[in-house]
Amino acid sequence: MNAPVEAYIALSSILFFIGIVGVIARRNPLIQLMSVELLFNSANLALVTFARTWGNNVGHIFAFLVITVAAAEAAIGLAIVAIVFRKTTFVDVDEVATLKG
Amino acid sequence: MIGFGLLAIALVASAIFVVTAKKPVYSVVGLLVNFIALAITYLTLHAEFLAVMQIVVYSGAILILFVFVIALLSSGVKPFAQGPDKAPRILVPALVCGTVGVVAVIIASMQTRFAPEAIYGLVGQADVFGSVSDFGSALFHHHLLPFEVTAFVLMVAIIGVVLLAGDDVPPQRRRKRAREPIARPDREPIAR
Amino acid sequence: MTHPLLILIWLGPLVGAMLLWTFGPQLRTLAGPIASALVGVSFLAAVSEWSSATLIDGAMQGVREPLFAWLPQFAFGLQWDRISLVWTLIITGVGFLIHVYSIGYMSGERAFARFFAYLNFFVFAMLTLVLSDNVVGLLVGWGLVGLASYLLIGYYIERPSAVAASRKAFVINVVGDVGILFAVFVIVAKVGAIGYGDVFGKLAAFTPAELFIVCLALFIGAAAKSAQVPLHTWLPDAMEGPTPVSALIHAATMVTAGVYLIARFAPLWSASSDARMLAGSIGALTALTGAILGCAQWDIKRILAYSTMSQIGYMIMGVGVGAYDAGILHFLTHAFFKAQLFLGAGIIIHNLGNEQDVRKMGGLRKQMPFAFSAMLIGVCAICGVPGFSGFFSKDAVLTETLAHGHPVMWLVGVITAGLTAYYMSRMLYVTFFGAYRGNIDPSELGMRHPELAGTAASPDHHPEADDHGHAHAPAWLMSGPVALLMIPSTLIGWLAFGGDASPWSRYFAPVFPADVPVAGTPPDWVTSALVLALIVAGAGVAYLRYGNARALVDAIPRLRTEAVRMPAVLVNAFYFDSAIDALFVKPAQAVGRWFGSVVDPHVIDAGVREASISANWLGHLFRSFETGLVRAYALTIAFGVACFAIYYVVIGVAR
Repeated sequence: MNAPVEAYIALSSILFFIGIVGVIARRNPLIQLMSVELLFNSANLALVTFARTWGNNVGHIFAFLVITVAAAEAAIGLAIVAIVFRKTTFVDVDEVATLKG
Repeated sequence: MIGFGLLAIALVASAIFVVTAKKPVYSVVGLLVNFIALAITYLTLHAEFLAVMQIVVYSGAILILFVFVIALLSSGVKPFAQGPDKAPRILVPALVCGTVGVVAVIIASMQTRFAPEAIYGLVGQADVFGSVSDFGSALFHHHLLPFEVTAFVLMVAIIGVVLLAGDDVPPQRRRKRAREPIARPDREPIAR
Repeated sequence: MTHPLLILIWLGPLVGAMLLWTFGPQLRTLAGPIASALVGVSFLAAVSEWSSATLIDGAMQGVREPLFAWLPQFAFGLQWDRISLVWTLIITGVGFLIHVYSIGYMSGERAFARFFAYLNFFVFAMLTLVLSDNVVGLLVGWGLVGLASYLLIGYYIERPSAVAASRKAFVINVVGDVGILFAVFVIVAKVGAIGYGDVFGKLAAFTPAELFIVCLALFIGAAAKSAQVPLHTWLPDAMEGPTPVSALIHAATMVTAGVYLIARFAPLWSASSDARMLAGSIGALTALTGAILGCAQWDIKRILAYSTMSQIGYMIMGVGVGAYDAGILHFLTHAFFKAQLFLGAGIIIHNLGNEQDVRKMGGLRKQMPFAFSAMLIGVCAICGVPGFSGFFSKDAVLTETLAHGHPVMWLVGVITAGLTAYYMSRMLYVTFFGAYRGNIDPSELGMRHPELAGTAASPDHHPEADDHGHAHAPAWLMSGPVALLMIPSTLIGWLAFGGDASPWSRYFAPVFPADVPVAGTPPDWVTSALVLALIVAGAGVAYLRYGNARALVDAIPRLRTEAVRMPAVLVNAFYFDSAIDALFVKPAQAVGRWFGSVVDPHVIDAGVREASISANWLGHLFRSFETGLVRAYALTIAFGVACFAIYYVVIGVAR
């Protein structure tokens, strides 16, 4: 490793919270989904870091599975976005507030 | 160390660019840069197979999917219009939470004692930690079940997407109506 | 169950009450005979069990019938000894006669069966009181008797005055109940058991002060139940009930429960001279007060009510000072002659169409000769005319009081005897002699509130002004019991003839400690002579005022003058009612009103309102979380993640 473990962890957490802020602060659903991909990737980084630290390649396997599931999730998420915003002029997550109670 | 520093800057900068770009296409490009930097980072961490997987699956498939959907949703009179902001000033609490979280994780990680670093062989050799053969044997021997379940998950995802985003007319009436354009901006919006 | 007849005696009337309560409307006129028969059966069973009551088995007197034991020290049962025998015979015997009388008196009432259900219930309750072998059973009977009294006084539920009177009786009885309850608590705390045998065996555990406290508490109960001063105000108002009720409950039995209490707890009373002083004084005071107030009454039932109060004062005085057999003898004789007086008055009232004011009577001697003879015998008995039953018992009480060293009480009792003769004779003369005044205008007679003079008829009773019995009930139902009662009224006193060798004294000798006269006591004939002189004096004054030829001619103006000039103090019964009203009733009502206007809307309602408001507020609070905005939900997730991170900093991961 080029840097101590703590550095990689710090990097992973920074990426994670950038992703979260992206989900919160942007109203375009596509950008929100891309921020979600950032979240996945930060988690993957942490997994691989720890795999390297403990010398156990379960981290790699797990990260591989995460990639796969992230692909599936991105597909479904984009399909939902396509349906929901098929009929509207707006592409704004704030408009999808039918759960408002 | 320098390598890590450069990669770190690239990752963070591209992530910030993804989040703050005006147009989604810009965000996609930023995301691509992020993925490539991440792949290189994996290489520094002796995760070769995963690095390649990152490029192939993430940048090669998922990002393309994003591009397609952006193209789909932009074909209208006024692409990506947005209504009034219903949660103004939500950024501040989000940043606060984020900062607190990051600081907390860093402190926690600094308080943890990790094992001393092991020295592995050169990248690219077979049967070394992180090599393709090592990964493959682990995947197909010890973790066969999760692998098969993941295949199942992907199948479900495909079926789901087909069901969700297929034609919204029932099969009987398909012959009567003509094929309709995908974006129908003249209809009333869904969520009000 | 060794003595099934005891259970029969006790529970027979309860069965009757339950039956009549349940099937009253269906049984209708059958209710009377059924109720009377059950009480009669109890009486016969009591008579047949006479021998077991008089059994002496070492220290054990009579027999005990254990019922059930909740704990070893809390065992309930029936006690059948000489004291309870006397009371049971009176309750069931006189009760039976009154039941039969009521069949005639209450015929035509709409709620006929209900009356007999209540009467049977009363007999059961009173039997519970006298037959229990433990203080808790006594207390239960005490309360049930109060309930029966409430139900029966308020029998005419449509009449507000009756309802108010029954409520008053019940509340004052509750005051007494508190006293007895307190006494029971102290006894159980000190003795640890509830049976009379256990209590009397452990008397040494009580200090004199504690003994006095217990006796005082018991006496409060006795005073309330037996209408002693100052808890007597309910008894005159209790005359709102039907006349048989007055005869049974408020003359013969319930009001003597206090006498029974003191007689039963004789060992306690004998050990505390202060308690005896208290009981004797209150008894004497009540006797005098009742007699004075009886001189000022115009309602025939009220005259008899005050006379009851006065005579019970005698009884309490008797058993209070330690002359137990004298007091119980007076109870015995009083039961007969007072029941007779009340039933006779009932005949008069019934025949006159519910007229109760003596000013509107007069000359009934020729119209109702049977009632006149009954009342005459009763009056002779109550005054203590020699030879009649009252003579023996009243003189016994007075001589024993003097022999126990209480000259003041004796003097009060003697004076009261004179007053008794006066007002009872007054009642006789005004009611039975002279011309009939039923058709005179009430204001001529000095009646200020003619509508209150007699008790207003119950709405479905048809008043008839003629003086013959109603066609729907045979006259013998009412006159038979009265005739039967004349016999013991006259003769039963002779049981006590002969001083210590009399059957009466010998009967009670094993029960109570022997009376030892205080030195210097004058011989008995002094008392008798004095009382006789005062009787003659009292009757003479009454004759001069109401009975001689000139008085009879001038009856109407004389009555009017007396009614108008009656001193206010007597009219308001020494202001007892006003005092109780001002001291207790008005403050209680004010407190209630305050609660209703201040506490209820501002505290209780406000609390309930606040509960609903806060539930509402909480709901609004949580509702504000449901914005429906994805981004807000994402913020909460971020917040959660931050918290997790902080947790790991604070608690720490595995080190």
